[in-house]
Amino acid sequence: MPSLTDRSYFVLAVVLYGTSMVYSVFLWRRGFRKDNRINYCLLLGGCFFHTVAMLKRGFSFERCPVNNLYEAITFVLWTIVASYLLIGLWSRLRFLGAFASPILFAVGVFALFPELDPPSRDRPEFATSWASIHASLILLSYGAFGLGSIAGLMYLSQEHDLKFHKLRAVFSLMPPIERLEKAINGLLFTGFILLTVGLAVSPFLLKQKYGVLFKYDPKLVWSLFIWAVYLGLLVMRWRFAQGGRRFAWGAIGTFAFVLLTFWGVNLFSPAHN
Amino acid sequence: MAIVVIGLSHHSSPVTVRERFSFPEASIPAALQKLRESGIASEAVILSTCNRVEIYAATDFPDRDSFAALEKFLLEHHNYREPIQGEIYTLTQPKSLEHLFKVACGLDSMVLGETEILGQLKKAYELALQHKHTGSRLNKAFQKAFNVAKHVRTETNIQRGSISVGSVAVELAEKIFTSLSDRQVMVIGAGETSEKTARALLSRGAHSIIVSNRSHERAVALAAELGGRAVHFDEWGGEFEKIDIVISSTSAPHYVLDRVRLDPLMHRRKNRPLLLIDIAVPRDIEPEVNFLDNVYLYNIDDLQAIADDYLKQRREEISRCEEIIRQKARDILSAGPARTASAERKPAFGHE
Repeated sequence: MPSLTDRSYFVLAVVLYGTSMVYSVFLWRRGFRKDNRINYCLLLGGCFFHTVAMLKRGFSFERCPVNNLYEAITFVLWTIVASYLLIGLWSRLRFLGAFASPILFAVGVFALFPELDPPSRDRPEFATSWASIHASLILLSYGAFGLGSIAGLMYLSQEHDLKFHKLRAVFSLMPPIERLEKAINGLLFTGFILLTVGLAVSPFLLKQKYGVLFKYDPKLVWSLFIWAVYLGLLVMRWRFAQGGRRFAWGAIGTFAFVLLTFWGVNLFSPAHN
Repeated sequence: MAIVVIGLSHHSSPVTVRERFSFPEASIPAALQKLRESGIASEAVILSTCNRVEIYAATDFPDRDSFAALEKFLLEHHNYREPIQGEIYTLTQPKSLEHLFKVACGLDSMVLGETEILGQLKKAYELALQHKHTGSRLNKAFQKAFNVAKHVRTETNIQRGSISVGSVAVELAEKIFTSLSDRQVMVIGAGETSEKTARALLSRGAHSIIVSNRSHERAVALAAELGGRAVHFDEWGGEFEKIDIVISSTSAPHYVLDRVRLDPLMHRRKNRPLLLIDIAVPRDIEPEVNFLDNVYLYNIDDLQAIADDYLKQRREEISRCEEIIRQKARDILSAGPARTASAERKPAFGHE
């Protein structure tokens, strides 16, 4: 399939993510009693096409493909699916794909909206290595937050089953809720560190582009707000023992907010357009 | 030469009869020797457990004659003179082989799918093998039985899950806590089920046990047995900060633990997850506490329902297991002549 464009490869990836999502419904109904190689293979196939799509785009620019919303989203999704494939090497954790595939599919479909991927200019405006580092770190942090929200979904599902004495609480292959809570904490902390370092690079970029260290920009304010929310979530857990269900809801809610507002804020940001 | 089975089990006879036919382990080699010397059987294995006494024999006699002789041997060996009314069953090929495979898989056990019987069967076979009372027929049949048991265990859900209250409690704890190795367990009320549950948790690595009972002497005795420590009944609340799992089984007519009392304790515990197992009737723990964050309350009915569901799941697997067993029995009967006796006499245990 050498004639396919990078977007076509990404479409193939999204189709496989969608198939995985449909298959996940059956796994869910069966209570995750068996590890699911089929789902793993579907996501592996999706990741393959996804990687080819990113590589084609990246080689055409000769740099990390994070120049517009489409590329940013595909980068975040790639982080999520690659992390899952690594974690899924352990058969007991393979069912995580059932929670990852709905996010991969839904956000993947959204990324395919043509408005998010306008025809590229000959030379991207942000062509410095600092810009690549800044964008990569921040998008990786959103990947970590995405995984944290997936762990949060698993926590809430398992916690609900345990609270209401559902049989699948003991039948399922899900890890203990205490481990899931630690996973949420670890992923949010990793994401927070990546976001912090990514944001710390911003003044250098502003200096390069506008000659100032700080400039009002909706995206920058929004990013600082997101940073503060995640800091709050972590502090609440570490300092005030607000773990468990509230922490899981916090991880899911905050990432949902990121997903819902990222695109809009990006469009209103002169520094990022 | 056919393989036949004669015996009694929990299906056919009460314990008052079974215990009369039981073979102490030390007497089995002599009994096998006597059986073979009588000429009834050229090969024999005796399986004697609390739920069954069975003789597996390879014999050249017609079925009716061999069963009559084996029954006579059983009755005379145990000096049993009362009339027999269907307590003893007899099986010939292929049913005898299918029965052996079922026993190995735990399908004929009182607790469906239990695995203890496989160990007992291996032990019975090893005893007969060591004393050279088995030959090519029984060696082949028993080796096959062990393989079938392994196959059924991996291919079906017949042995999946816990079907006792204690082991269900352990499974629940393992779905809440990352590891049981650093968990503290508190037993409130020293009943038999709570003791069994505590033992099950300890066997899975629970860190320590605190026992509290109205009779402090009983608490001290149980704590000593479990390797834990006892606290006075009025003081167990003071220990709550460190506790992760509570097993309650007092005979109190009212709630021992309610939401009003637990809420502040949870704050002191920094909202760490807490598993409450209430096996008392009437219940010791107010159901409302389950609405508190990080509290997971299970009463005896909840645990029993999970155990029953596991059992139901196992029952649903019976037909699949039986199909596998029938096929394996057909395979062994349609197979060619048995291998040489020397090759067959390798102990089965290395192959499992």
